[in-house]
Order: sequence, then C-alpha cells, then structure tokens
Amino acid sequence: MTSPESAKTEPVRIEGVYKKFGKVVALHGLSLTIQRGEIFGVLGPNGAGKSTLIRSIVGLIKPDQGQVWVLDEAMPSKPILSRLGYMTQASALYDDLTVRQNVAFFAGLMGCRDQAKIQAALELVELAHRADSPIRTLSGGMRQRVSLASVLAHEPEIILLDEPTVGVDPQLRAQFWAHFRHLTEQGITIIVSSHVMDEAERCDRLGFIRGGQLLAEGSAESLRKQANKANLEEAFLWFAEQKEMVQ
Amino acid sequence: MNLNRIVILARRVAQQLVADKRTLALIIVVPVILLTVAGVLIRVEPSGLTIAVVNQDEGVAFGNQSVNLGDRLTANLQNFELFNTRLMNADEAQHKIEDGELDAVITLPADFSAQVAQTRQLTLNIQFEGSNPTVAERLRNAFEQVGDQALAGLATLQATYLNGGPEFDTLDYTASALIGVFVFLFVFILTSISFLRERLAGTLERLQATPIQPLEIIIGYMLGFLIFGLLQGVITLLYTVFVLNIHYHGNLLNVFVIESLLVVVSVNLGIFLSTFARNEFQVLQFIPLVVVTQVFLGGVLWPIEQMPGWLQPIAYLMPLTHANTALRAIMMTGESLGGVWVQIAALLAIGVAVIGLSARTAGRVRM
Repeated sequence: MTSPESAKTEPVRIEGVYKKFGKVVALHGLSLTIQRGEIFGVLGPNGAGKSTLIRSIVGLIKPDQGQVWVLDEAMPSKPILSRLGYMTQASALYDDLTVRQNVAFFAGLMGCRDQAKIQAALELVELAHRADSPIRTLSGGMRQRVSLASVLAHEPEIILLDEPTVGVDPQLRAQFWAHFRHLTEQGITIIVSSHVMDEAERCDRLGFIRGGQLLAEGSAESLRKQANKANLEEAFLWFAEQKEMVQ
Repeated sequence: MNLNRIVILARRVAQQLVADKRTLALIIVVPVILLTVAGVLIRVEPSGLTIAVVNQDEGVAFGNQSVNLGDRLTANLQNFELFNTRLMNADEAQHKIEDGELDAVITLPADFSAQVAQTRQLTLNIQFEGSNPTVAERLRNAFEQVGDQALAGLATLQATYLNGGPEFDTLDYTASALIGVFVFLFVFILTSISFLRERLAGTLERLQATPIQPLEIIIGYMLGFLIFGLLQGVITLLYTVFVLNIHYHGNLLNVFVIESLLVVVSVNLGIFLSTFARNEFQVLQFIPLVVVTQVFLGGVLWPIEQMPGWLQPIAYLMPLTHANTALRAIMMTGESLGGVWVQIAALLAIGVAVIGLSARTAGRVRM
C-alpha cells in the first residue's frame, strides 16, 4: 500500500467539538488527537456520542463549535474522503447487487477502478469465492466482511469503523482484528468504536467517552493503572465517577 | 462535477434494476396491459343495444309522387350494426320499454314527413329507457355516429377536420397522453422507493462519506432511470402504433425528447418526496397525490379548458399537463419540437425547480 507522505502531522485532530441535536448535546467540547498507524478505540456506552464523533470525523456532521482536521484538511471536505474508509454500524450494502458489484461501486466512487485491488480486498475478507453472489443470499457475518472489503479496496490512509464487530461471531471477530493489525503495520490509521470492553484490549490507545465528553485517554494498561483497577470496565466506571465529582 | 462518479452511480442504478427481474418486467408488461384494456374499452362497439322504431308516418305528397321519410329512415336504421332495430306499434313499444326489454324508442309521428317538408328541419323523438346512464350515453353517441348516415338522402353532413381526421378516435387522443403518464408513474415509483431504501439501508450515508456530490448523485440517478424510461417509452410506443393501430402524424423521435424531460422531473420529484417517507408504505401514499391528481388535472381524460377557472392554474403547474399537450401535438397534429417550445420550456422550468429541491435532500442523511 502507498505510504502516506502528505500529512506530516497527526492524521486526525479533533479540537473542542460541540454538537447539539435539538435539545440533546451529543458532543460536549471534545478534543482528541489520533496518531499515525495506531488503532484507536473509542469506548463508551450506547448514546455516549461515539457514532457522532466518528461521523464528525468523516464530515457527515458539521460541528456547532470546534474543528476537526483530517490529514491537515478542515472537515467537512469532500475531496479528502477518497483517502478515508468509513464502515457504518449496520452493513450498508445494495441487496440486489453481487458482492463484487458492491465493492467495485464504493471503490469506484473513491476513485479506484483497479479490478486487482477489488479482488485483493475480496480475498482479504475470504469472500472471493462468493464474489458473484447477490448480497441478499449472504449471512450477517458475510455481509459485515463485504462491508469491510468495500472500505478497504481503495486503500485508504485512515479507516473508521463504527462498531464493526456487532453481531459478528468470535471467530470472525478475531479475523477482523488480525486484519486491522495487519493494516496498521502498513502505516494505516484505524479508529474503531465499540462498547465491548474486551475488544478494547486489542487497541493501541483508547478514549473513554461518556455524555459527549472524553473521560480519559491512553493505553489499556495505563488507564487501568491510573484508575488502580483490575479491568477496563471498572476503570471506565472509576473515571466516570471522578468526572461527576468534579462537576 | 466528476463524470466518472456519475457514470459509476448511473451504472449501479441500472445494475439494480437489471438484477430485479420482476420490476423490470413490470415496467414493460403493465403499460402494455393497461393500454390494451384502454384500447378495448374505448374502441368497444355499442352492441347489445335494442331500440324500437314506431313508424306512424303517413308520408307527404311531393309534386305528383308520395314521399315517406319515415320508411326511408327506418330502413336506414335497420342497416346499422351498432344496435338492433325492431319495428313495432306504439303500445307494444311502450310495454316493452317499461319491461326494460328496449333501451330506446324512436317514434315517427303520422305527420313526420309533412313536418319535415314544412319546416325543413328534422326532429327525432327519442325516448330513452334511462335507468342506466351509460347505456343512454352510448346510445346518444351511437345516434351521433350514425346521424349523417341514417339521414342519407335526407340531408348531408359536410365534415372537415382541422386536426386529426375521421380516422382519429378517442383512443388516439388518450393513448398519446397515456404514454407520458406511464413513464412518469413508473420512474416516480422506482426512484422514490430506491432512494428511500438508500436512506434506510444506510448506503446514502456511505455515499456521503465518499467524494460524490449531491448533484452527481442526482444526475447519476437520472441517467440510470432514463435508460429504462426510454426503453419503456419505445416499447409502449411500438405497441400502441403497431398493435393498437394508433394513428400518428408526427416524428416519433420527438416523443422521446418529451419523455426524457418527464423522466428528469419524475426522478427528482421521487428523490425529493422520498425524504418525507419513513417506509415503503408511506412512499406509496404519494402515488395518488402525485400521479392520480396529475392524471385527473393534467388533461389526460378531460380537457383543461373545460375545468373551472380556479383549477386551471394548478393544472399548469403540473408537469404531466405540459407533457400531455406536447405529446398530443406531436402525435396528432405532427408538430415539430419548435411547435411545442412552450411545453418544453415549462417542463425545463419545472425540471430545474425539482432538481433544486432534490439536490438539497440528497445532501442530507437524516430525515
């Protein structure tokens, strides 16, 4: 894969982002910086603002206040999107189309029409043998894999995954994480959201999010140490309590 | 604006339709069925109608010979296949029409010939059974059709046609407009539902996370559906011209110009309105609103000039109104595109307006 040269600074910088939907504050002045080539885990309960955060990085949401920078470009910015890969929560695919048509469509919009790369993405998720099957004939896990392939084919520099392993069986989940690790070794940055704490252990760094605010960030190890707790779940609760005491 | 992305999107829209064989068949088969039904109903001969003629005419002396117009009229009426004509006396006729055996009774009084000779006017005294308005209506039409022939030798009808001609009938008038209605209807249904699905399945959100612009999405959709809209147009046109024997004067290629404009309007209206629906059922509710009102008000069945004055401006806001007018002008009077420039300009204006609306909604993920 191509080695990214353009961005000398951190690939994603989030500066004091505030976003309100009606009366609900989804992001409450959140700041965060993601390093190149790391797997950054966005962790928090449902409704914490994980999806809103990821969507604002992709530029689907324009913050009310604050600024998101992706590869030194102020978001929202359409042209930069071809260097990103965004996998939505539910596998968003065209049911009537085949696996290959789906992957080729999304890759094509990103500017990649190289059939070899599309084939490589299909092989990576082990679906090359089902390339000509319509999506509606596939199982849920297979759909997730197609979804992943359609995010990878154009070789993005940053990949954003919104709860990619929801409804995915343990074996496939292990495969996904092996893929993710393999990608970061090539200098690709991955941001993944999850509410499953044991998945968090696999990330290089974590951000604990609750109520649209960043509670803490660091490696799983350092977060546990800081909270003086045996596991991440307890550490998360400890940080949440600390935050409440401050407020 | 990136042509590659537009083509990729248009190809995907086409691929989806090709993959959905049943819908593809529907686009072609349904218009053919509906046109056939319309053709049969509109061109039906008023058979099964029975009328009685009570001929009491005593004739009139005309110079040295006696003329009985009643006899000649009766003989002429009996030659028509549009209805059965039976001769009977007044009592019998009265009895049978009350029993419902007769649909109408024509009474020719004793001084029928004398009156015609005196007034030089021919007045037919027809009593309709009347319990079924459509029967009476069919009879009235039948009498009008045969009027000049029944009175052959008594009077002559000098008819000239500015447009169309005696060979043009209601089906020619209706079918030329229906061709536009079908394209509009099917493209509207397909676009609104596929765009709604795009929103519900989350693929719209994924599209928006790619460099494609809202306007490129819309143009891609238009191109994708244009292929199938025109394919349908070709098939319905060939069917109406060669199977239903619709008469036409104009250049049929001009029909496709109007149809393309209709597809543009229809695609964008579908995209725009799908924003207001949360599921497929709600999308279907737009069909009576958008399509049926246009069929009623757009001059497909009733001429706009005959509508109440306050309704006419509404009719002229509707794209189908202009498309129907243009299609009829092209097919029935052989107008060139220049001859329907007003309708083309109106369709273009409506098209630009709906593109503006749909471009706004295609850029939004949330409902």
